[in-house]
Amino acid sequence: MNAQPTFYRERIYPLLFMFIVTFLCILLTAGIYLLTQDRASANELSFTRRAILQAGGVSFENTTAGIELAFNEKIVVEDGYYTTQGPEGTRYIIPLQGPGLWGTIAIMVGLGEDMKTFSGLAIVSQNETPGLGARIEESWFTGQFQGKTAPFVMVEEGTASAQNEVDAITGATRTSEYFLNLTNRAADDAQSIIRGE
Amino acid sequence: MAKNTLRKTFIEPLGKNNPVFVQILGICSTLAVTNKLQNTLVMTLGVMFTTALSSFTLSLLRNHIPSRIRMMVETMIIATFVIIVDIVLKAFYPEMWKQLGPYVGLIITNCIIMGRVEAFALQNKPMLSLVDGLASGLGYTYVLLAIAFVRELLGTGSLWGFRILGSWWTNWSIMIMPPGGFFVLAILIWVIRETIMKEAKA
Repeated sequence: MNAQPTFYRERIYPLLFMFIVTFLCILLTAGIYLLTQDRASANELSFTRRAILQAGGVSFENTTAGIELAFNEKIVVEDGYYTTQGPEGTRYIIPLQGPGLWGTIAIMVGLGEDMKTFSGLAIVSQNETPGLGARIEESWFTGQFQGKTAPFVMVEEGTASAQNEVDAITGATRTSEYFLNLTNRAADDAQSIIRGE
Repeated sequence: MAKNTLRKTFIEPLGKNNPVFVQILGICSTLAVTNKLQNTLVMTLGVMFTTALSSFTLSLLRNHIPSRIRMMVETMIIATFVIIVDIVLKAFYPEMWKQLGPYVGLIITNCIIMGRVEAFALQNKPMLSLVDGLASGLGYTYVLLAIAFVRELLGTGSLWGFRILGSWWTNWSIMIMPPGGFFVLAILIWVIRETIMKEAKA
């Protein structure tokens, strides 16, 4: 094995070796990706639909089949937004997104017929700090917007009492602020999305 | 003889050669993911899988890798296994994948994996390297779970997402923030070095 350094050993062999390793690695990951692609995109679709149902305040069974059934039955897909029939009239479900602490926060907001009162709210995707900002996904947080009207005011966790007050998350002040901006924009954004501007 | 080596290879990373509290490797993830037991477990399983299989694969190739480009080859193979973990989580455990977010990808930069490859796999036979990788991952796992246990309990009053302590408990938010990770890790290292490790040395 202790051959003299030759052009082949010094230059060609490493290049060839790296090429083959890279090729095999890509082959492997691409193969697995293709095998699971359908499943992964089905999961993503299901997540989005679940968020739409939650925002619209529609009850559903929390399984892939249950979500699909409820979505097909209750939700009407419009151009850029969704509607559903609530007990007090049409509810509009609007996709919104805005900056968070680490990345974009995407949410679905459900608004009542007046297009101001929240019928529900759900997180589609977020990259906030796990255990802190990521708690915006918890149901006590998203649930507290229900039946309230913007503009909201954030108060210390566990102290919200007035009609426009919502609890902030302790230890995640910045995430709470970003989230507040996003929800306070909702009514205006809904107007322009529904009018198709 | 062979059996002894195998045993030693498996035992050492769990105790006196532990990657976290002796070699102080993989600290970035130790601090980042240990505020929830569930996330910690999935993360450490991902690390264990990657360390074991990349050590095994690179040990198979060890006589053929040109030494000048060996780090490129190592990174490529480690990255491949991490991407596999990411893809599989995304397809089969989407809720968990959503929660872990960018942390899975960051397994690539975990120094334990490259450290074991460089220090062990490139000099040893594949099966032994597999055992070494697995044991290092296991050594990492139990230390992180211990830290996560303390942090989740004190920080949120729950374990595995279930409320354990009553409503009288005031959450120590600092525990689930990054400084909490430093506190718990430092105390753990101190306790272990002052007690178990000192006795072993004497």
